[in-house]
Amino acid sequence: MDHNVYIPKLAKIIQIKEEVGGARAIKTFRTVFTNGHGFDHRCGQCAMLSVFGKGESMISISSSPLVKDYLQFSILKMGRVTSALHEMEVGDLIGIRGPYGNGFPLDRWKGKKLLFIGGGIGLAPIWSVLQTALANKGEYGDLTLIYGARTSKDIVFKEELADLKNKMTVFLSIDVAEPGWEEFVGFVPQNVLDKKPAPANTIAITCGPPIMIKFVIKALKDLTFEDQQIYTTVENKMKCGIGKCGRCNIGLHYVCKDGPVYSWAELKRLPQEY
Amino acid sequence: MKTPETLSGEMMEKILEKRSLPSWVKKLDSWTVYAPRKDENERWNYDIAGSDSVGLDFTVTTLPAKALIFPQREIFLEFLKTAAENRETLEVKEVLPGEKPVVIFGVRPCDAKAISLLDKVFSGDFVDPYYWTRRKQTILVGLACGTPPWENCFCLSTEGSPHSEEGLDILLTDLGDRYFVKTLTENGEKLVNRAKDLFKEPRPEDKKKVKAVHAEAEKKIVRGIKGVKKDLAAKLRGMFDSPLWDEESMSCLRCGICTYLCPSCHCFDINDEVDSVSPLHGKRVRTWDNCQFPDFTMHSSGHNPRPDKASRLRQRLFHKFQYFVETYDKIMCTGCGRCVSLCPVGIDIIKVLDKVSDHGS
Amino acid sequence: MAKIEDLKEEARKLLREGKIKYIIGYGTGSNGWMAGPVFIKNPEDVDKLVWDPTCVHNLSRFLVDEKRRKAREKQPDKRPVGIFVKGCDSRAIVVLLQEKFIERNDVYILGISCENGGVVDEHKLTRKLKGEKPKKIELSDNGQFVVTTGNGKVEFPVGELLAERCLECQANFPVISDILSGEKTKRPPEKPFGSIEKMERLSQADRWRFWKEQLNKCIRCYACRSVCPMCYCDECVVDSINLAVSADTTAEEKANKVKWVQRSAESSENFVYHFVRAIHLAGRCIDCGECERACPLDIPIRFLNKKLEKEAKELFGYEVGFDPAQPSLISSFKDEDPGDFIR
Repeated sequence: MDHNVYIPKLAKIIQIKEEVGGARAIKTFRTVFTNGHGFDHRCGQCAMLSVFGKGESMISISSSPLVKDYLQFSILKMGRVTSALHEMEVGDLIGIRGPYGNGFPLDRWKGKKLLFIGGGIGLAPIWSVLQTALANKGEYGDLTLIYGARTSKDIVFKEELADLKNKMTVFLSIDVAEPGWEEFVGFVPQNVLDKKPAPANTIAITCGPPIMIKFVIKALKDLTFEDQQIYTTVENKMKCGIGKCGRCNIGLHYVCKDGPVYSWAELKRLPQEY
Repeated sequence: MKTPETLSGEMMEKILEKRSLPSWVKKLDSWTVYAPRKDENERWNYDIAGSDSVGLDFTVTTLPAKALIFPQREIFLEFLKTAAENRETLEVKEVLPGEKPVVIFGVRPCDAKAISLLDKVFSGDFVDPYYWTRRKQTILVGLACGTPPWENCFCLSTEGSPHSEEGLDILLTDLGDRYFVKTLTENGEKLVNRAKDLFKEPRPEDKKKVKAVHAEAEKKIVRGIKGVKKDLAAKLRGMFDSPLWDEESMSCLRCGICTYLCPSCHCFDINDEVDSVSPLHGKRVRTWDNCQFPDFTMHSSGHNPRPDKASRLRQRLFHKFQYFVETYDKIMCTGCGRCVSLCPVGIDIIKVLDKVSDHGS
Repeated sequence: MAKIEDLKEEARKLLREGKIKYIIGYGTGSNGWMAGPVFIKNPEDVDKLVWDPTCVHNLSRFLVDEKRRKAREKQPDKRPVGIFVKGCDSRAIVVLLQEKFIERNDVYILGISCENGGVVDEHKLTRKLKGEKPKKIELSDNGQFVVTTGNGKVEFPVGELLAERCLECQANFPVISDILSGEKTKRPPEKPFGSIEKMERLSQADRWRFWKEQLNKCIRCYACRSVCPMCYCDECVVDSINLAVSADTTAEEKANKVKWVQRSAESSENFVYHFVRAIHLAGRCIDCGECERACPLDIPIRFLNKKLEKEAKELFGYEVGFDPAQPSLISSFKDEDPGDFIR
């Protein structure tokens, strides 16, 4: 019996952590399928989370595929579905279908240095590839993370980042100076230029607000990174997640299916409609 | 999931007297039979055929046959959340279209070709079970166009023809007082065999007349787009940023007529419809949606990659004439002419595409 | 005799002098024989303008587009747009002015009188011609419609081909204009609400049955709403999905937006959509008939709006679209308004 691609599998929320409070709240959810093993995923893939009665939302899976105990999603409270998710409690049931998308081509990056550049909630999509690379540290070159948020309160994965500093190079930043903040003050692209990462044998993976990505790519180009060395994820309104409803269609691609991971070289060839 | 059987190798050619058509329909009692019916304004639409009133002297239906296979509204699943003894249970039940074998009479070749294009969209890496449950139960009986149903037909320039067999199970050709019946699939044969006695063998004159009728029909099509498939796609690729789109979309109303009535448009929306809040009970429903609505691509943040009519008109034409061509090597538009004839403000894609072809030359 | 030539000269002058941004007028359609909207920016293109009984469109709808366009521009061009209007269309402009949606100096109104004619109903003509394809239609000097087909010319009394709304028209010439061509011929309709009489005589059960059958056809293409100049709301109450969202809209606002109507084209949803939209147009609809003409499935929506227009007239003495200074029907009252329904 073929599984119906539109029917989500039920999953229980086993942990909710508030990363950021306030108006632009971010919570991290860990979920477990109620009926056996849901699916395996690749870094960078997403899943459609269902809140029955409200709708579905495409969220990137931020846990590494090496983690088999749960799937992790970090969700910014944005609209109808994400607000409903934020109201949920541990033990509540949601629907999950997936995994969708092309994922990061981690295999092609073996032996290379990996430079992760994230802003705000953008750390979540690259978290899975960062954790996977970290777990297989020997297979890659140096790992570096340049991450920033508006204020220190808007930083996600605060505890994990503190722990990460022991394992790899981490540069943090916030937009405006705060008392007690000793690291870089300014926008993420400015921090990139400040740290001057060398392009040789490096892959840069960036994710964050569209305006940040635009200027990060510009900064990387200024640092002589080539188009095919820069990777990002594209966000688009999605409904079916399987390339049929037409909503995320850009050029010959459906972002849900052929993306959301694109190298800058590939993205430049697509119509600029995202 | 298997696609409908194509040519079984035993294609049949028969003759059916026009006056025997209602009797044939009557014999098809294990199917729900649809046929075109006229309204007060001389417009046609598919309706359940009354066996005594079925006739195929029609032009073209306003709603294409796609509406019977890919309906405006379709239920995906039902959900029910109950709380019993302090434990909440959530039940999610798939709701597939029921068993309803359908025969559609009077499918114009452009509509049938469009359905074969939709078949491509709804299969691939992910197979859409709702579409295919209906598709596999639907038998399409086509009617070749003797004269173009209206002035804005242009099937010949979209790799189609007034007698194209693509997507059909049977093709009927009107020979005056009788139909030339050509079965193209096993399902088509099944229908003919249901009323074997009504069908006669064709004479050589009949076969000759069919060829003549088809050739004549092709000559009567007046409109066409200048650009040839790959050339047009290439031309379009270079015109993404052209001011042409802004000029041509100025009168666009951002309604849904061109897309909803297009036989090959397939964009849809998925929403949850709640029947009761406590206990939570509702359905997840698919409805038609279209790229011309202003909030089609709007993100939750308010950012809209296609904020103006120019970019949306461009998307429609590019999708039909470039993106689909470069993905499937087929033009997604089948030249039915509905969008041209029924646009309330007369936006004419044939004219727009000709401007594209003429651009820079 | 109303002549487009009178107005063309003015149009050319305005464009040449840069007094207006562009002109919204009628031009020859390319997809058939009916005229269509054209947007003229250059004085040389003014010759594309036409005037004949196929000029059915209510061009004031494009004033809404113009306002949206200006809202998107950082430094909008504040010059007025020129617009061709018939009597009915001009009333739409009056309503837009009345509701302060546009300012008087946003438009330069080129009015053209229907005199003894009006616009043709395409379906009536199709039925009369019995298969012949029309090529052209003109209003003759002696008040007949002259239709040119492949087989020559044929004449019809205008009454046989006029759109229903023309037979009930209250404004045969523009009520507001900067320049007007044609006589101010008044043709008070015999039965201003004649088209709904048959409906009113039906029992409630029959009326329900009628509307259920008609609204079951609706596919919610929203053409009726899209073509209406008065449906200019960025966020439509009878569209669950259409949301006026900006970067400042909070998650709570988006989450709490009530879905009054689903997008499903089911009977109950279609009823709510059409009936609530009609009520929202009460005292605002000027019966241009475009909603019904645009509907690809021939749903007779105009009946709903006409009925409410009749109620507005009979209950409140309210006539739409003649006086820009008049307050709107729903947000004003007079002491003598009927109050017997208040218990």
